[in-house]
Amino acid sequence: MSVAAPGPALLTLEAVTKRFGGLTAVRDVSVEVRRGDLLGIIGPNGAGKTTLFNVISGYYRPDAGRIVFEGRDVGGRAPHLICRLGLTRTFQIVKPFGNLSVLDNVMIGALTRLPSVAAARAEAGRVIETCGLASHVAARARTLPIGLRKRLEVARALATRPRLLLLDEVMAGLNPTELTGIMDLIRRLHADGLTLIVIEHIMAAMMRLAQRIVVLHHGEKIAEGRPDEITRDRRVVDAYLGEEFVLAEA
Amino acid sequence: MAQALARHWGALVIFGVAALVPVVVRDAYFLDSLVLILLWGALSAAWNVAGGYAGQVSIGHAAFFGIGAYSAALLGTRWHQSPWLGMLAGVLVSLAAGAALGYLSNRLKGPYFALSTIAFSQVLLIVASRWRGLTSGSEGIPVPFRPGFGTLGLGHVAWVYLALAVAVLYWGIQVWLEHSRFGYRLAGVREDEDAAEALGIPTRRLKVIAVTLSAALTSMCGTLWAQYVGFVDPFYVFSVDLSVRFALNAIIGGIGTALGPFLGSILITSLETYLRATLSGVKSGFTGIYLIVYGTGLILVVRFIPDGLAGLVGRLRAHLARVHA
Repeated sequence: MSVAAPGPALLTLEAVTKRFGGLTAVRDVSVEVRRGDLLGIIGPNGAGKTTLFNVISGYYRPDAGRIVFEGRDVGGRAPHLICRLGLTRTFQIVKPFGNLSVLDNVMIGALTRLPSVAAARAEAGRVIETCGLASHVAARARTLPIGLRKRLEVARALATRPRLLLLDEVMAGLNPTELTGIMDLIRRLHADGLTLIVIEHIMAAMMRLAQRIVVLHHGEKIAEGRPDEITRDRRVVDAYLGEEFVLAEA
Repeated sequence: MAQALARHWGALVIFGVAALVPVVVRDAYFLDSLVLILLWGALSAAWNVAGGYAGQVSIGHAAFFGIGAYSAALLGTRWHQSPWLGMLAGVLVSLAAGAALGYLSNRLKGPYFALSTIAFSQVLLIVASRWRGLTSGSEGIPVPFRPGFGTLGLGHVAWVYLALAVAVLYWGIQVWLEHSRFGYRLAGVREDEDAAEALGIPTRRLKVIAVTLSAALTSMCGTLWAQYVGFVDPFYVFSVDLSVRFALNAIIGGIGTALGPFLGSILITSLETYLRATLSGVKSGFTGIYLIVYGTGLILVVRFIPDGLAGLVGRLRAHLARVHA
């Protein structure tokens, strides 16, 4: 597991646990994310990936363990406070402000850092450009097709100027062209210095995108390493990838 | 400037006409209707701040209306204070009550929030109708007419301009909500609370502020209404009927739009006044028919123009623009 360290620790999870009644959705998960990382999280349905995102971004309070972002323990803080600190996320099931325009959607994100509506609108325009939504600025968010709604989800989060962005399955349900587009976007954001954690089911995309992958299974971290290491890991193959995947890759 | 005029032409027409009416019309009945249209419109605008702009649909706003009405009536009749002072007292009480309601019901969404507001207004109804020592209970409180601006003992024309000033103020507050940082972030809360939180918006605080502001504005109009009508009856001022009226005017007119509450009020108030006058004579059996009209109107709006009269006007304009282009 010798991964080149891009920078100092940005986010550290120390034995994070989240239970729902008798069910332990996330158990003793420890992960370190360094500045400049592009970390992937994979695992079968119900492995606890989204629950982990919900804990990190403040939607759930962890039952045990610590979540340290830039030296501060943020476990259990409200999501809006965590966002202000520079950590935000997108939602697997997109949550656009449906009745508002694309511009207003992104501008509301920008208003978190900017006191003036005019400045926020200008910033939103730039972010929309970056995310390839420029031809849809005036469209009502609910009228966008799913591919663009996923992009809007990313644009809105970017407008809050995060230093760490959690992307929850932004590629699910996209066609091949849209998929290439959003992968390019993620790579560009990463190249510009953004640190990202990406949950994804599409293994082929993940293999090409992530520098490092964490595998969750039944709420536990069963492996961590470079994509090529992960595909050779016996437990990962048994729990998630299956023999066919390994044969296909070989 | 020209752009602002073009955007707000509807408000300009409505408030302009209202300002000109007393110049040409002296008929007390007509002026009375106008005062009520403006007051009910302002009250729906106040409701709209919470229900339309923040998405906190309340069916208990009569609580704040009643607080405003009772504050002035009690201070005036028992301690001989000016209704303006009573209005201030009512606003302060409503600020506290609104903040408490907003805070306590913060985690309740949709119908559960609405139910908690009904319960809140019903509690106040019980207090006002049972605490006879203070409120005279179900007998209500007659508000004596003492001429003068300080005592709000005004003629019809003065009432029109007072109600108009309040209506324009409330309309302006709504327009501000459409263009300000606070208003945009509130729209985010209304559209999706989880997403708003992820974008750094303190959703709970914004909701409490919106409900509190809405409560204070409602209370102000409650005071004005009580002084205008001259009688405070607990079963009316705290009634669910009244709360529904605030909401309905706004929904029929166009929920979450600045002009909607006033359009709704014009339609509903004039229709109701007309129907009451023509159909509810002593011998006729049509006493409650305006309620049927209410219900029918609501069904028609929800079915055919869910964005209300304001949305209808907007679409007609767009259609005309296309035809002329």
